[in-house]
Amino acid sequence: MINTPLIRFADVSKVYHLESGDFTALDHISLDIQDNEFIAIMGPSGSGKSTMMNQLGILDVPTSGELFISGRDVAKITALERTHMRRDTIGYIFQNFYLIPLLSAYENVEYPLILKYKKRDESGKATAMLKAVGFDEALSAHRPTQLSGGQQQRVAIARALVNDPKILLCDEPTGNLDRKTGFQIMDILCGLHSEGKTVIIVTHDPKIAEYADRTITLEDGRIAA
Amino acid sequence: MKDIFFDLSVRSVRLNLMRSILASIGIVIGVVAISSMGMLGTNMQLQVKDQLSAGADTIVITADAVRMGPTGSSSSSSSSATGITKTQLNKIKLAAGLTSKLVPVYSTTTQFTLASTPGRSTVYGLNPDDITKFLTISNGTNIGGINDALVGATFATNFDLKIGNRIRIGQDTDTSRPVLRIVGILAARGMSSDNVNTDNAIIVSDDWYTNQYGGKDIYKQVNVIVKDINTIPDVKTAIDTKLNTDQKKPAVRISDASSRLSGITSSLSSITTFILAIGGISLLVAATSIFNVMMMSVNERIQEIGILLSIGTEKGEVRRMFLYEAVILGILGASIGGISSLIIGYSVVSYMIGTTKYFFLPESIMYIPMGMAIGLLVCILSGLYPAWKASNMDPIDALRSE
Ligand SMILES: Nc1ncnc2c1ncn2[C@@H]1O[C@H](COP(=O)(O)OP(=O)(O)OP(=O)(O)O)[C@@H](O)[C@H]1O
Ligand SMILES: [Mg+2]
Repeated sequence: MINTPLIRFADVSKVYHLESGDFTALDHISLDIQDNEFIAIMGPSGSGKSTMMNQLGILDVPTSGELFISGRDVAKITALERTHMRRDTIGYIFQNFYLIPLLSAYENVEYPLILKYKKRDESGKATAMLKAVGFDEALSAHRPTQLSGGQQQRVAIARALVNDPKILLCDEPTGNLDRKTGFQIMDILCGLHSEGKTVIIVTHDPKIAEYADRTITLEDGRIAA
Repeated sequence: MKDIFFDLSVRSVRLNLMRSILASIGIVIGVVAISSMGMLGTNMQLQVKDQLSAGADTIVITADAVRMGPTGSSSSSSSSATGITKTQLNKIKLAAGLTSKLVPVYSTTTQFTLASTPGRSTVYGLNPDDITKFLTISNGTNIGGINDALVGATFATNFDLKIGNRIRIGQDTDTSRPVLRIVGILAARGMSSDNVNTDNAIIVSDDWYTNQYGGKDIYKQVNVIVKDINTIPDVKTAIDTKLNTDQKKPAVRISDASSRLSGITSSLSSITTFILAIGGISLLVAATSIFNVMMMSVNERIQEIGILLSIGTEKGEVRRMFLYEAVILGILGASIGGISSLIIGYSVVSYMIGTTKYFFLPESIMYIPMGMAIGLLVCILSGLYPAWKASNMDPIDALRSE
């Protein structure tokens, strides 16, 4: 493969085996995503957007077809290697923030560094990341439940970025935020894109999709546009 | 703390402190049960062994019960016709060697009257020279005259005896009732393994004994006190070959402290095992409560586990986090249990055994660290499955759970 794209879906399908029969959530998807693209994924509810993001986040592997991320076929590597790719190559931002409730904002951001280096952070990276999303030391000591939605999402972004991943996956990152806060988050993501990250964002909001270079629309597990 | 997974576990335990403490109480009870029961059993064994160790250097030779001794002198109704004869005694003397001390013992039971109070006790007839070979006179002197007697410590206390008091031997109906003068009181001996239990007995000279009861030169038993305990097996064999020429019909029975002890100690150690098993059962109950709490912790934190896994936490790290939690519960339970065992074990031992002089000996006190280690181990084992379950969750399913 000459000039391998950062991400390549090659005829990827995801089939859920249910008691009521098989359900195809992703139906023969083929798609290339280049380094430093800003992509919005849209489509009606149940069209397979989150399923696609879970494939990209290597939380799941395709039922058929091949998915290459950074040139590696995610189905052909070990579970531990997939875990390490999640930690090092991908930053995941969720609609529900998904911060670790027992850890402070600072510790949440420090956490991926601990996973990677197996020790507490002494580089100051976590503090710097939090500062970049507008957190001072006092606010960093708060537990997630003591933060507003917008603040939690900022922490989630800082956490996703702290290990300097190439790919930033955002599944409806503004879905639980008011419009104004949503746009503030989008501004942060735009900044990251211009710094060289590949950003893939799922959204229902056409205004949010406008930030992207390219919009992919899913319908019944297929790419409609 | 250095390890973030340990931090997470500590916080999780703290968040559910009440529940965690309740689960640990099971471990506390288990540890206390195992250690105090173990200590109780061991203290019991140690005490019995100690009491019986007087006479550990002694071989006891008695006439074999099935073989009848030589007939003849049966002047007294209470004296037995069986016994070790003079010839046998000489053979024993030869077999035992010069370094061993020989103590031929006459004994019977008798009634007596002490200042008009009647009583009954064992009477030992000993050569006065033999008395000091294995008995200690704590008060007064050894037997000198023919009517002199010694009494045991308990005997003296019970009847409030003083040196110089007199005992009238025999029943009221007896025609001749000789009077003995107490010249000395023996030191307490406890339950002795050489079959000479003097604490409640009267000791007279061999001459007085045979005068009174007859049966001269037919001894109830002969004690051979060896110089070196390690030679006991050899001496036993030597006596056996000399005296028991017909192995099918042995003339004498030869026993030493260890063979007499083994029966008692083995039954004591099975009692110990039994009570330890009861402690073990309580730990089994504790294990289910720990398992339950760990499963609750896992089930409550499914989404958190999903988060951890989805952002790149290794399965092993998730497992570690939950095992730490089990270890924390274990350490909590084991340390409270250890301290309680010290207090409860001490009280139980002092109440049940009456002495705590063996309590801090290694073979007794070791039950506390042992009980604690078992408690901790039980916790870790109970945490294995919950930890495994947590680490093997599907991150997507886990994230979606509320
Ligand atoms: N674990 C699963 N088992 C069975 N079916 C599933 C599973 N996950 C998703 N699906 C089905 O796959 C389809 C796509 O789901 P997906 O979550 O990708 O939709 P979505 O596009 O993200 O929708 P939304 O906009 O509501 O988030 C849905 O019909 C859903 O019911
Ligand atoms: Mg979705």
